[in-house]
Amino acid sequence: MIINVESPILEIHDLTVSYDQSPVLWNVDLSLPAGKLIGILGPNGAGKSTLIKAIMGLVPVTGGYVKIFDRELNDVRSRISYVPQRESVDWNFPASVLDVVMMGTYGKLGLFRRPGKKEKKIAMDCLEKVGMQSFVNRQISELSGGQQQRVFIARALAQEADLYLMDEPFAGVDMATETAIFQLLQEMAAAGKTVIVVHHDIHSAMNYFDWIIMLNLHLVASGPKAEVVTEELLRKTYGGKLNLLTKVTDIIRQKDFNPLKS
Amino acid sequence: MSDFVYFFTFQDASIAFVVIGITLLGIGSAYVGTYSFLDKKALLGDAISHAVLPGICLGFMLAGEKNPIYIVTGAFLSGALATFLTSWLKSNTRLSDDAIIASILSIFFGFGVVLLTVIQKSGNPEMAGLNQFIFGNAIAILEEDLYIYGGLAVLIIITLSAFRKEFSMLVFNADFGKSIGYPMGAIRLIFNVLMILAVVIGIQAIGVVLMAALLIAPGAAARFWTDKLGKLLLIAGAFSAVSGIMGTFVSFVIPQMPTGPWVVVFLSLFAFISFLFAPKKGVLSRFIARRYYLKKTNQDHILKAIFHGTEKGQSSFPIEEIYQSFPYKKRETKQTIDDLIKSNLLTNNQGFIDFTTKGKSEAKRIVRLHRLWELYLNEYMNIAPDHVHDSAEKLEHILTPELEALLENRLNFPKLDPHQETIPRDNDEL
Repeated sequence: MIINVESPILEIHDLTVSYDQSPVLWNVDLSLPAGKLIGILGPNGAGKSTLIKAIMGLVPVTGGYVKIFDRELNDVRSRISYVPQRESVDWNFPASVLDVVMMGTYGKLGLFRRPGKKEKKIAMDCLEKVGMQSFVNRQISELSGGQQQRVFIARALAQEADLYLMDEPFAGVDMATETAIFQLLQEMAAAGKTVIVVHHDIHSAMNYFDWIIMLNLHLVASGPKAEVVTEELLRKTYGGKLNLLTKVTDIIRQKDFNPLKS
Repeated sequence: MSDFVYFFTFQDASIAFVVIGITLLGIGSAYVGTYSFLDKKALLGDAISHAVLPGICLGFMLAGEKNPIYIVTGAFLSGALATFLTSWLKSNTRLSDDAIIASILSIFFGFGVVLLTVIQKSGNPEMAGLNQFIFGNAIAILEEDLYIYGGLAVLIIITLSAFRKEFSMLVFNADFGKSIGYPMGAIRLIFNVLMILAVVIGIQAIGVVLMAALLIAPGAAARFWTDKLGKLLLIAGAFSAVSGIMGTFVSFVIPQMPTGPWVVVFLSLFAFISFLFAPKKGVLSRFIARRYYLKKTNQDHILKAIFHGTEKGQSSFPIEEIYQSFPYKKRETKQTIDDLIKSNLLTNNQGFIDFTTKGKSEAKRIVRLHRLWELYLNEYMNIAPDHVHDSAEKLEHILTPELEALLENRLNFPKLDPHQETIPRDNDEL
């Protein structure tokens, strides 16, 4: 079941993504409303992170396009914030918590210019929102997983965006932190921001998200929580990969070229 | 000694020039190298430094003499080709990074050596100095060459400073940089250019073979001393510049002595000192921390032993009896008791040991931590009472007052531990 909306904040049209020889997303087509807390659910290897990276232009797409605020990505980058997976960076890098959060202001600051008092103030406010103000000068290598995640969220807040795309922000986070972060995200949605979150736990997803996208290499469902979370759709999402689709992927991988790439 | 004075007072203008040159070169290459070290691309620097050799030879062949412009351009181009091939092979073949880098390094260097032999056979009288490009000779650098190498070094330092925020983002989280619209591809390209330039400026003074060490070793050594990027760059630059100057001095004092190997010897010395003596991360400070911990453990055990005696109603503690409760460790025990007396925790009255007030309170604290932790393990982690002792035996030495307060609150100031022994507190006897 795929429910589309009028004047969407994000429109994904027939998006196909392949890594080298293997297609990882097949013809994803959906549209999303503004001001909602949206969850992307699916099993491991379903293409959840790939979908977010494709939206942000971080992986090349084989086909289809993405429109955000009805514009091209490059025209609206300053209004979008991306939170990568925590494991994707080297936390031994010599930087303080403040250094990382200040990166959130770099988009508006532009190239060459050094962050100043104003940027520091923004970063401090955002750290306070995630309850990390007492860690400002701490080296990032000394943080726990949950604290690292909160630093990343503070950096996203410092971007002062309208659309947030977060890749597994709850991975390695304890229950209390998860609840606190979800509350923060709900407040943001209530203030008119759109927050899209890759998530793995169906139980907490049911509690917090307004809108749910279910993915398993292809789009299984996209719509308001009450309408799409059914036993049948959950089985389609989590009940293993489509057998035939896996076989086709194998055939493509054995070829010397990828026919889906034009 | 007179050489030393002559060298370091810079009476000779050409020595002053060489020292300024090698300092700029050292700082520049340490600066670039520290970023590539943090980016885990140390081997790329090694590949580039070997790969510039064919370019140097071709530059020489084209110019027919040791013209620095030809040689620098040739070195840069062949370094650039090697860098480009490395990333092209990575995205277009299934070869692993290390295989690609090893191949590029050996193929380019091999080709360079072939060209070098061809030049030597040609009998060109200018070729005499060409061997210096392998191991470097800072003293032989001419003044006009220094303007080129020094100028490039200044260019590297300025560019890196101007792009500091961009390069940090490139190393820490390039995807994020791309997501906010920064041209990360172009920034990576500029960084690679700087890396090649850093190798190129060192070919005359340090030599192609050892230039990689000057890129990577300063950053790696400096990493032991700090967790802050600004300080890291400063320390790395200082290590590199000082090693450069000392290496130059050696090749000044001993004729025909190449500079590069000596610079690397001094750099290794700094790296070795850092590895041994750096606070926190150095081997020695970790050793001292461990010794301190063991000493504290021994003291705690003696205080505990006496306290357990008082619990059983014993009122006097002959020192010999204490020795017996720690068999085979008499000397160590004696030393520990002396330390405890010195810290005013115990008194020794004609062979009878007793607590001071302070000592008793400290003993109670240790026993209390031990028993609180046992109770916590038992109540909150469902560990059987006969399995909690070993963990408590270790943690009693390191639990902080904050954790003690937390334990007391969680367990609601308990009276007894899981073995029904009293948890001692300072105001018990009131």
